[in-house]
Amino acid sequence: MILEGDDYMSEMMWTEKYRPRTLDEIVNQEEIVSRLKHFVKTKDFPHLLFAGPPGTGKTTAILAFARDLFGKYFEENFLELNASDERGIDIIRTRVKDFARTRAIGDVPVKIIALDEADNMTADAQQALRRTMEKYTRTARFCLICNYSSKIIEPIQSRCAVFRFSPLKDEDIAKRLKWIAEQENVNLTEDGVQAILYVAEGDMRRAINILQAASALGTTVNSETVYKVTGRARPEEVREMINLALSGKFIEARKKLYELLITYGLSGSDIVRQIHREIYNLNIPEEWKVKLAEYTGDIDFRLSEGAHEDIQLSALLAHFALAGTQMRKGG
Amino acid sequence: MSAVPWTEKYAPRRVSEIVRNTEAAMKLLKLVKEWKPGSKGILLYGPPGTGKTVSVYAVANELNYEVIEMNASDTRNVQNVMRVAGSAAMQAPLFAKRGRIVLIDEIDGLSGREDRGGLGAIIKVIKSARVPVVLTANDPWDPRFTSLRQYCELIEYKRLTMWDVVKVLRSICQKEGIIADNEVLKEIAKNAEGDLRSAINDLQALAEGRKRLTKEMLSILARRDREKNIFEVLRMLFSAKTARMATFALSTADVDYEMLMRWISENIPYHMDDVEELAKAYDALSRADVFLGRIKREQNWKLLPYAFELMSAGVALARSKSKFKFVKYSFPSLLKELKSSKEQRDLQKKIGEKIKKRCHTSVTRAINDFLPFIRVILRNNPEVGAKMAKWFRFNEEEIAFITGDSRSSKEIIKLLK
Repeated sequence: MILEGDDYMSEMMWTEKYRPRTLDEIVNQEEIVSRLKHFVKTKDFPHLLFAGPPGTGKTTAILAFARDLFGKYFEENFLELNASDERGIDIIRTRVKDFARTRAIGDVPVKIIALDEADNMTADAQQALRRTMEKYTRTARFCLICNYSSKIIEPIQSRCAVFRFSPLKDEDIAKRLKWIAEQENVNLTEDGVQAILYVAEGDMRRAINILQAASALGTTVNSETVYKVTGRARPEEVREMINLALSGKFIEARKKLYELLITYGLSGSDIVRQIHREIYNLNIPEEWKVKLAEYTGDIDFRLSEGAHEDIQLSALLAHFALAGTQMRKGG
Repeated sequence: MSAVPWTEKYAPRRVSEIVRNTEAAMKLLKLVKEWKPGSKGILLYGPPGTGKTVSVYAVANELNYEVIEMNASDTRNVQNVMRVAGSAAMQAPLFAKRGRIVLIDEIDGLSGREDRGGLGAIIKVIKSARVPVVLTANDPWDPRFTSLRQYCELIEYKRLTMWDVVKVLRSICQKEGIIADNEVLKEIAKNAEGDLRSAINDLQALAEGRKRLTKEMLSILARRDREKNIFEVLRMLFSAKTARMATFALSTADVDYEMLMRWISENIPYHMDDVEELAKAYDALSRADVFLGRIKREQNWKLLPYAFELMSAGVALARSKSKFKFVKYSFPSLLKELKSSKEQRDLQKKIGEKIKKRCHTSVTRAINDFLPFIRVILRNNPEVGAKMAKWFRFNEEEIAFITGDSRSSKEIIKLLK
């Protein structure tokens, strides 16, 4: 990251500040990194498809790869697009066209176009993208980044080398957190580390964001500050919503849901994830926790398949209302 | 509105006054007149508002018969059909002074559950009736009616043209002393899509108490009409007792599927008192949504009927215990709130764009994964917060939005200066 002028006086997000710049700095996903290093050497590589859970280093890997590959010509030869923002395939096409039309600068024959969150593209857009990929195959390589490769149409998958990013191990995340804390003069306690690991669920980006936010509350980061931060960032509203639903107050629960969706701007899958976690904190018979979790998983799946988050989440709340009644009957 | 709906006030008294379907009504008149025990029943079928029920009354009026009617508002299980229609049809005195028609209206509305056996009982009544039994239906080809059709003469009623409807409307206007532009009547007629009853209702709603009807007044109608439509669709859908009725209700809607889905979702809890019904109805809606998602993603429109059926029949038939009741339908509250919070969300999006620029992420993810933490920092640590705001290049408005409290945002803005 080039810091311009007054940026020296500013405070960056640590996810950026401590994002590995080169392939050598990346400590996990060894297999993938070694393949990418090989590509840097040969300067010859296919289209790439990076798939894996959030916060496992996909974007970091492509950025580091491109930097290693292009060196000082990184800016000229690398285009980063995000499919969930640039939904219209036309925007992607025109920008890709403008970019890929001219030859790469430097000694690498191709440019790289990274398309993040590619699983948010419609099948139609993907078909169009497939043709674009073929058209510029002599001047550009695509790197598609997604959470689920199953959402990428097969013709594209078959044109790419697919790299699967595995979830990060807790000890890897812990090591990174401790190292950052050291650099930032933050006193990170062991239970603080454990708390972050618990909340972050293998997502490095989330882990670092939590650390940074917790350290804004004071110089010591322990489990208490971590939960304070995550509690504030993730309002208690979710638990309240669940309890309203379980007690049969569906309409009130739905009102809370809309608040979370609109006012807090949470996504449907975000809310489902939190509901899932809250289930195990509820004061209900154990076997019901499993039942609720099963249905929550069902809705999580339908969310990814369906069209309207509010409908799916309303269905979940209605089911909780039913479950609440059955629990009280001792069913 | 006055006490008498214009649909009744101006209902045809004679068969020759029936618009467009005069021939059908003549045929009915002939069949009723020549009817003798052992003859078939008579099934009138066609779209709503084409004159089926009024034909029966016009015929009765001309022949001076009485009409015993059973319609969708009556429960029509075996016992009731036998008690009302059965006794009227089978125990009619052979040499009564006055003839009689037994009318069983809207048989599409027969429910499988509550009106169990109703169809069988109707056939029984037809077979042993001593007076003509007339039935009406929108869709006589419903497989449920296969055996019933064998015991009936079928008479088709055709959809009215726009000009048919305009003609009737104009004559009503004349009788009411209302001056109306042709354009206006045409517009009302077009809206009604061949349903004379609804056209007359619209005219009355618009013109009653007025001396002149102009184009400007139509704007009210258009809005009202659309709202009325969605309310009617919902009423029809939630009261449907058969899958076919429910899907039919949905097919009459003139709003798009997304909107419909929101309307249905909003109003399910007001109809389903029982939590089991509630969960069932929403489950159907959620499955419908999965189909819609696939349709959207893969442009696979042949899946649409499944989505359609789940969101109509799937939802309607979830209600098995609680009674249908009148509900004042509400506008989807999610959309209402989305509208009122638009400025806030636009601002949030702008913030998301700025985060995206810095953090190699999407706007959505910026808002979900980064903004909550940035908020914590700005609220709790103005010094660091100010530096961070600088890095992101947040302006004052955005800082105020992120912190959500004026004290910390003022402090940050002061530090920035």
